[in-house]
Amino acid sequence: MSGQLKSRICAICALVLGLVTASAQAESILIKGGKLHTLSDAGSFDSADVLVVDGRVKEIGLSLNADADKVIDARGKVVTPGVIAPVSELGLVEIGAANATNDFAVTGDSIGSAFDPLPAYNPKSTLIPFNRAGGVTRALVFPGISLWGDSVGDPQRVFAGRSFAIKLNGDFDSVVATDIAQKAYLGEAGGQLAGGSRASAYAKIKNALEEAREYRDNKDSIRRGDWREMGHSIADLEALQLLISGKQPLLVTADRASDILWAIELAQEFNLQLVIFGAAEGWMVADQLAAARVPVVIDAINNLPLSFSSLGARLDNAALLAKAGVTVAIGGPEYASTHNVYLSRQSAGNAVASGLPYEDGLKSISANVAQIFDLEGGSLEPGAVADIVVWSGDPLEVTSYPEQVLIDGKPLSLVTRSTRLRDRYLKPEQGHEFGYKR
Amino acid sequence: MQLHSRTFGHCIAAVFSTALLLSGCGGDEKADGDKKSKDFARQDAFPSTYSITQSQPVLIQGATLLTGTGEQLDSTDLLFKDGKIAKIGEGLKAPKDALVVDGKGKWVTPGIIDVHSHLGNYPAPAIESSQDGNEMTSPNTAEVWAEHSVWTQDPQFALALAGGVTTMQILPGSANLFGGRSVTLKNVPGRRVQDMKFPGAPYGLKMACGENPKRVYGGKGTAPSTRMGNVAGYRSAWIAASEYSDKWEKYRENGGDEPERDLQLETLAGVLDGEILVHNHCYRGEEMAIMMDVAKEFDFQISTFHHAVEAYKVADLLAENNVCAAMWADWWGFKHEAFDMTEANIAIVDQAKACAMIHSDSAVGIQHLNEEVAKAMTAGQRAGFDIQPKDAVVWMSMNPAKALGIDEQTGSLEKGKMADVVVWSGNPFSVYSKADKVFIDGELMYDRADKARQPHSDFELGILDAEGERL
Repeated sequence: MSGQLKSRICAICALVLGLVTASAQAESILIKGGKLHTLSDAGSFDSADVLVVDGRVKEIGLSLNADADKVIDARGKVVTPGVIAPVSELGLVEIGAANATNDFAVTGDSIGSAFDPLPAYNPKSTLIPFNRAGGVTRALVFPGISLWGDSVGDPQRVFAGRSFAIKLNGDFDSVVATDIAQKAYLGEAGGQLAGGSRASAYAKIKNALEEAREYRDNKDSIRRGDWREMGHSIADLEALQLLISGKQPLLVTADRASDILWAIELAQEFNLQLVIFGAAEGWMVADQLAAARVPVVIDAINNLPLSFSSLGARLDNAALLAKAGVTVAIGGPEYASTHNVYLSRQSAGNAVASGLPYEDGLKSISANVAQIFDLEGGSLEPGAVADIVVWSGDPLEVTSYPEQVLIDGKPLSLVTRSTRLRDRYLKPEQGHEFGYKR
Repeated sequence: MQLHSRTFGHCIAAVFSTALLLSGCGGDEKADGDKKSKDFARQDAFPSTYSITQSQPVLIQGATLLTGTGEQLDSTDLLFKDGKIAKIGEGLKAPKDALVVDGKGKWVTPGIIDVHSHLGNYPAPAIESSQDGNEMTSPNTAEVWAEHSVWTQDPQFALALAGGVTTMQILPGSANLFGGRSVTLKNVPGRRVQDMKFPGAPYGLKMACGENPKRVYGGKGTAPSTRMGNVAGYRSAWIAASEYSDKWEKYRENGGDEPERDLQLETLAGVLDGEILVHNHCYRGEEMAIMMDVAKEFDFQISTFHHAVEAYKVADLLAENNVCAAMWADWWGFKHEAFDMTEANIAIVDQAKACAMIHSDSAVGIQHLNEEVAKAMTAGQRAGFDIQPKDAVVWMSMNPAKALGIDEQTGSLEKGKMADVVVWSGNPFSVYSKADKVFIDGELMYDRADKARQPHSDFELGILDAEGERL
């Protein structure tokens, strides 16, 4: 079954379940008078109303006369779809440097493309309410291969494994889609993992894809053992089937312009849906990316020539890519880690300050992410899932913040450990009473 | 000209307009008969050769000024001459040969000061052979000096300049209880680090609490392996430093055989003497409280706790002990001691009347300290505090200047101070505003509108395009 199909079924299940619960509650919410960015064909409005019924957008209009169970006064506020994190480790990590709380990075030569981090997902992670309070309503969750520690150089594998998508309501059933994309490493990181040369990483991916085809065409014989010994496990080859059938994107790390071009070449040879992750020098090959319809997920605020593979890093990368017609998604700034993945909006703000058109900036952290990974959310139109944020002001501005966050049409708490600690220590003083403050 | 730091009162000399000559502050003080004149700081060992040739006076007209002293002045003129702020007011007359900047719609702040940076020590590209920021070979490496690792051609300096950073402290890393000496630099191109050294700025000593030292050395099976091991390590070292200091004191008073110099103890003795400022990496409130008691036990002052994620828990104690806290706006969770983050940290410390500031510890973050302050200001407002841009700007200018002992020379727009000035395209606390012009000691060192006034390090020449620059 294809990833898309699976996700669609998953979404339908959620929808059906949602309808059941919602019809019991018959929940309707009218968000009135906000500056609205639908990020759909409907465009933006200085003032508009959004009617949400049973977890979905029912209607959008300049002035809706609807009887709703709840009215949110959004006058003077800005209303957008929720932020979607294109790449995160949400629910797989609690404390970066505490291995026991960290399930996203695998070392050694354990399984590659078949690795599925889903059973490690913890919807009760503290990172989830925190990033929700920052405006993130959905996120993709990817595994990684650790580039640190004793096992670097040993793994000899460049596929990190499978991914899934969540909504940030903290519920146990908050996984909205599985098998969304496969992740692999090319470029400098790939070279480190594949024994020293980026060419070796390239060869490894190519070889895996070739074996996946061979497996597809000779499945029964291979399973029976009437075939040559394969270099990959059956589980790994199974996991790659979604890639070679073109039904699931391959997220590939690459920063150097020449690495990006080779990735495009590989995608064309195997008919892959390619997504470039990193693309620090993407602007140098923007036309080729656009022509091949390859979208990118970038760290828009990272303009450091931090390696010889990202010498061309610059703040207007997003602007130049978008101008050439490349679909750009902006991820959380890597330097602030997955804990602050919501800061993708600050990165997008910087990209806009460096020439990215404003609406493209908003789309880069929502609509474009949904489009690239074929997910629900990211835009507001009748029928769309009601993941909506009411902001105190411009969502890309560092002095703005979410005042209301709706996921599936449900307003959720914006309390976090950060606000709890703040409220306990607003006026720190000598004594024991702080210990009784909640 | 001799200036004395209000906070730390030692050995600050700054001379401009001519080639700069610091003939050893210690020497001057000896001549004054100062009892604390042992010169453990060795200010003159690698003397600053920083100087800036003055080309013309500058008049910025009709801008919004955030002075760094708690004031916002709208539609105001700012004049600087001979590298110094000369006048602030309305309708100021431009001197004959002045560069006149139309400040309408622009905002002006003091140059940003980053109290925690590793530029030059951890340069870009991050090639392993250039990772010179932490001597991780012993829990006490007080003998190393960060300036000896600075690669002045690090292209990240110019990126920070474009973000409005005029001064920064380069610190050794945090793997050690005593990581070594820091150095304070002006953000100007330099063939040698001496060309960047902030004239007369006191040295700092990097200390580190918590996870890092115990992990690095405990992991090697040596002390420390616990937080209590960390504290034992500090106290033993301070005992040795006190003895060293006394030995030299006796020698100076009574003569006899000159004691043997010890680079490690010299730096620690410089702290005990008040010449070298302690910059202490310390996340947890409990540990900050312990460190303030260690400082009392050995009679020295801690300037600043860095990465003080839990400063808000002990903000009253910081105020009481006159210790600053340098913080991020919102970093958290990368390790256990960074788990109890609140975005209101800086605001709570500030409201408790302690000296609060932003810091970067990042070559990306250093380019956006105005945005980081904006987020911290907003978190303070959401906590119910009345914090305005005129207050928040202090977190990236005057307070880091205090922490570095250079607040008499820079950190605010006040007459007589170094003309370290940023002209912003708008309110600096907006993601859309940019540093349009950056002046250091009155000279235009960065101009967004003029490529000819944008520095490029050697590294960037011919690197992506043999005939061009990197960008």
